[in-house]
Amino acid sequence: MRWIPWFALAALGAGFAAWLAAILEPVAGLLPQCAFKHLTGLACPTCGMTRCLEALGRWDWPAAFHWHPAVAACAALVPALALWDLRRAWRGDRYPRLPDAPAARVVLWLILLGVWVLQAARGI
Amino acid sequence: MGYPFAASLRALVRPGAAFDSPPPTLGRAVRDMAMVWLPLALANTAWTLWRALGTYDLLRRGGSPFGLLDRLGMDPTEVRDLIAMLPAPPGFGRVWPWLLLVVPLGVFGTWLHHAFWDHLGLWLLGGLKARRGFRTSLLAEAEALRIAAVGTLLGFLGYVPVLGGVLALPLLVLDGYLWLFRGFALAARHGCAPWRGLAATVVHAVLLGCFVLALVTLMLLMVRMAA
Repeated sequence: MRWIPWFALAALGAGFAAWLAAILEPVAGLLPQCAFKHLTGLACPTCGMTRCLEALGRWDWPAAFHWHPAVAACAALVPALALWDLRRAWRGDRYPRLPDAPAARVVLWLILLGVWVLQAARGI
Repeated sequence: MGYPFAASLRALVRPGAAFDSPPPTLGRAVRDMAMVWLPLALANTAWTLWRALGTYDLLRRGGSPFGLLDRLGMDPTEVRDLIAMLPAPPGFGRVWPWLLLVVPLGVFGTWLHHAFWDHLGLWLLGGLKARRGFRTSLLAEAEALRIAAVGTLLGFLGYVPVLGGVLALPLLVLDGYLWLFRGFALAARHGCAPWRGLAATVVHAVLLGCFVLALVTLMLLMVRMAA
């Protein structure tokens, strides 16, 4: 299993999803509204992801950052991650374990909550 | 010899004791999951696709099954013009061989996806203290998804006319329970408290699923209402 570049394969899948989103953009208006936003009036943490994906499919990076900064930032990091994963798989190294430090978990929680607050405050 | 799925139903009724036995090897767990889930997923996808193609064709020809567009508050003319621009649907006979490729990819993709995000959720909640790696999450997910596949079988009841409408809400509750059920497997195999496993599946749902799941659920409901 360690010789399979899982993240690089996932990056290919994500690229395909962005390409597909751009193709399907004309029918995006048929998609129902986010159920969470519909019920509460507030954006959910993932609100803006579809529009961000469509923008990425058009290679429109400013729009992608506008709709969902976290997803656009992750997308920008995908090539680097894919290269690192290909190198890891080539060398047959295991994936590193997730850090056990509580601080790492707290930082990720704060980032996730921060993104949610940002999306809700902007009314995305 | 017991009834088919009797063991799965017992595990679903008593989830706390469902994963007390020593874990199987990962290969065996994945094989068992595939043997139970793949045939059910193939049948379910084929049935759903057949109905979806029929609905799509009906919409292209200007029909509005059960007044679907009116119920959704859409302008029927606008939607029909949009759909008329799209290509005609292929016949089911042309599409079904692709299911033999797409459904296994979907099944194994779902397994990997659940394992990845549940593992991350468990880490966020401090449930990986026993330092068992991602392989343990893969094993736990395979075991849980083999049992939860019974939900696909029960989901067929939702297609029965009248009964499907009556069972819509209970089946939705069952879907929610089957989502959480993976948490029991995660907790048992990672050696942490069950609440952390359950919460990991909730974190997964909240982080990535609240939009996507709601979207897919609504679209499936639309297809079911239309067919």
